Amino acid sequence: MTAATPCSVQLPQTGESYVCAQGETLLQGMIKLGRRGIPVGCVNGGCGVCKVKVRQGSVAAVGAISRQHVTAEEEACGVTLACRAAPLSDVELEVIGKMQRGFFYSITCSGSAPR
Amino acid sequence: MGVMRIGHASIKVMDMAAAIKHYENVIGMKVVHTDAQGNVYLKCWDEWDKFSLILTPADSAGLNHVAYKVQHDSDLEQLKASIEAHGIKTEMLAAGALPFVGRMLKFHLPSGHEMRLFQQKELVGTDVGSTNPDPWPDGLKGAGAHWLDHCLLMCPLDPEKGINTVADNCKFMTQAMGFHLSEQAVVGPNGAIQLAAFLFCGGKPHDIAFVGAPTAGLHHVSFFLDSWADILKAGDVMAKNRVKIDVAPTRHGITRGETIYFFDPSGNRNETFAGLGYLAQPDRPVTTWTEDSLGRGIFYHQGAVTESFTTVYT
Ligand code: FES
Ligand SMILES: [Fe+2]
Repeated sequence: MTAATPCSVQLPQTGESYVCAQGETLLQGMIKLGRRGIPVGCVNGGCGVCKVKVRQGSVAAVGAISRQHVTAEEEACGVTLACRAAPLSDVELEVIGKMQRGFFYSITCSGSAPR
Repeated sequence: MGVMRIGHASIKVMDMAAAIKHYENVIGMKVVHTDAQGNVYLKCWDEWDKFSLILTPADSAGLNHVAYKVQHDSDLEQLKASIEAHGIKTEMLAAGALPFVGRMLKFHLPSGHEMRLFQQKELVGTDVGSTNPDPWPDGLKGAGAHWLDHCLLMCPLDPEKGINTVADNCKFMTQAMGFHLSEQAVVGPNGAIQLAAFLFCGGKPHDIAFVGAPTAGLHHVSFFLDSWADILKAGDVMAKNRVKIDVAPTRHGITRGETIYFFDPSGNRNETFAGLGYLAQPDRPVTTWTEDSLGRGIFYHQGAVTESFTTVYT
């Protein structure tokens, strides 16, 4: 099941908004437009960095999501992976996933090591 | 004697049909067996043992275990003794615990990853055979990968708590398993923290690698290709198949390998890797990458890593 018309996606935390075409996942829509706001990882439901909570509107599941990252209870409360959900209406999302600020990340992506 | 090479990796997939399609059509492997539990076994054309990849149906992605092959059956006894002397418990799984495989020595690395050693796996030969072989077989699919080459494991590292399982694993693999360190990345004051370790047991720059991360996981399993031309073609295959590419064709400073990183349909990272780099020998001086050159070590051309490469794994 997918929406018949493009849906707008709002990310209030960063003020981003973009339009998701028919049948596209929330994350594909964002990547395709070169927009930011939701962390992008495997785009296949396995790594969990694109975890979001659907605040308003509804989405349809597209493929399997890793239970290591989204429990069945969370899913029942509107939490999902943006790469595995297509909007059925205009939606507002809370971004939960983060690029983990691990030690490797601190060094290689910020250019300075934690001391 | 001792450990010869990676034997297989067992990884979790969330959609078996999509996974089989990926490993067949993109990597170029062939399914050789499906067991009663629904686990699927695959092989690359240039491998002579029965399988090198096991896909297991699961509700998450990641590594179940990685297995290495030893030369002699008696190596299993010797390695059991040296692993236990290192303070690590082992368990000998009976022959047939995995189909086509003899007894396996099972244990966990200091990083928590499950590793297995075996000596016997059914010999089926490569797709070109051993008598007057052609250089490659007809009918190859996708990238036509030669063999499963190595894996990179993400290992818990938290310098503030004094935890460094990269260093622990490196010590274990060199002291108890007969591996050798080819290259390492060191960071922090006076380079005191070993952030990454690349180790070999055969003659190529790495057979396993460890990199520090907040939690244990699988960074990638890597498949060998001949050349840069094959890497470019593999990139085309991925684009054709709408595979999510993480890092487009480039070269590593570390190991000198030519590479593409991409994700399987469950989000497990794969690599296609070309170039044997150099002859890895036990007496070769260890190459060290320092903090200021780490970006060049990882991706030599760009000199910097992408956010997803360092932080996304399964
Ligand atoms: S990007 Fe990896 S789970 Fe969505
Ligand atoms: Fe690799």
